[in-house]
Amino acid sequence: MTELVREILIDATPETIWPFLTDPEKHLDWMGTAAEIDPRPGGVYRVLVGGQHQSVGEYVEVVPFEKVMFTFGWEQEGNPITPGSTTVEITLHPEGSKTRVQLVHRGLPDDATDDHGKGWAHYLARLDGAATGKESTPDTIDSEEAG
Amino acid sequence: MDAALRAIAVPRRRAILRLVWSQELAAAAIADEFRDVSRPAISQHLAVLKEAGLVSERRDGTRRLYRANTESMAELLAALDDYWTSGLERLRDVAEAEQTRKRQTKGHQP
Repeated sequence: MTELVREILIDATPETIWPFLTDPEKHLDWMGTAAEIDPRPGGVYRVLVGGQHQSVGEYVEVVPFEKVMFTFGWEQEGNPITPGSTTVEITLHPEGSKTRVQLVHRGLPDDATDDHGKGWAHYLARLDGAATGKESTPDTIDSEEAG
Repeated sequence: MDAALRAIAVPRRRAILRLVWSQELAAAAIADEFRDVSRPAISQHLAVLKEAGLVSERRDGTRRLYRANTESMAELLAALDDYWTSGLERLRDVAEAEQTRKRQTKGHQP
């Protein structure tokens, strides 16, 4: 099974980030047009995306300010990422006054190519490379104008 | 994209895709690998995969040869990658705005 791993460094504390992951209203500030989430083991995860794509799941593990893990799938008929078939784990790692947020999506349907140890994993690696390449750095210093 | 997702939702089609991932194979050779299903059924699966852009077909005389279109597979994954990447970027933006607000509020307190 392939897993997709994404990380981002956020200039905020886990305490500030946490409500955005667990409060239905705040969740909508960054993901979804409707969210019904009950972040406790066995609780529902339903986030409507773009007004038409319904993602559904169930919370598996919730550790305040540290981790949420929930099953994830799309309700849409024919989508291979069916409800319950994959899991998403979001973890918060404090780094000074900032927080590194890691998202791991496990159980993705990579079996088309798994035999040969390439396929999706291979493309993931390539995508990772592309993402790193385009990563921008803050424009703190501009070229000085000659006076 | 939806067609691609539907195409790989069926285990048999994933098995076919796996078979033609690194080698081009004739329809007959593919069918031989799946003795438990009829050739027309395999042809049908190949048609769906082709329609979804996951395999490409080439004619060699009377034979039809198939191989996986790896770029389409990458696209499928890229869509999901984009979903989470842009999600995390929005999370960063709203959390940082909230943190800034908190820091300013704290700074103004006596």
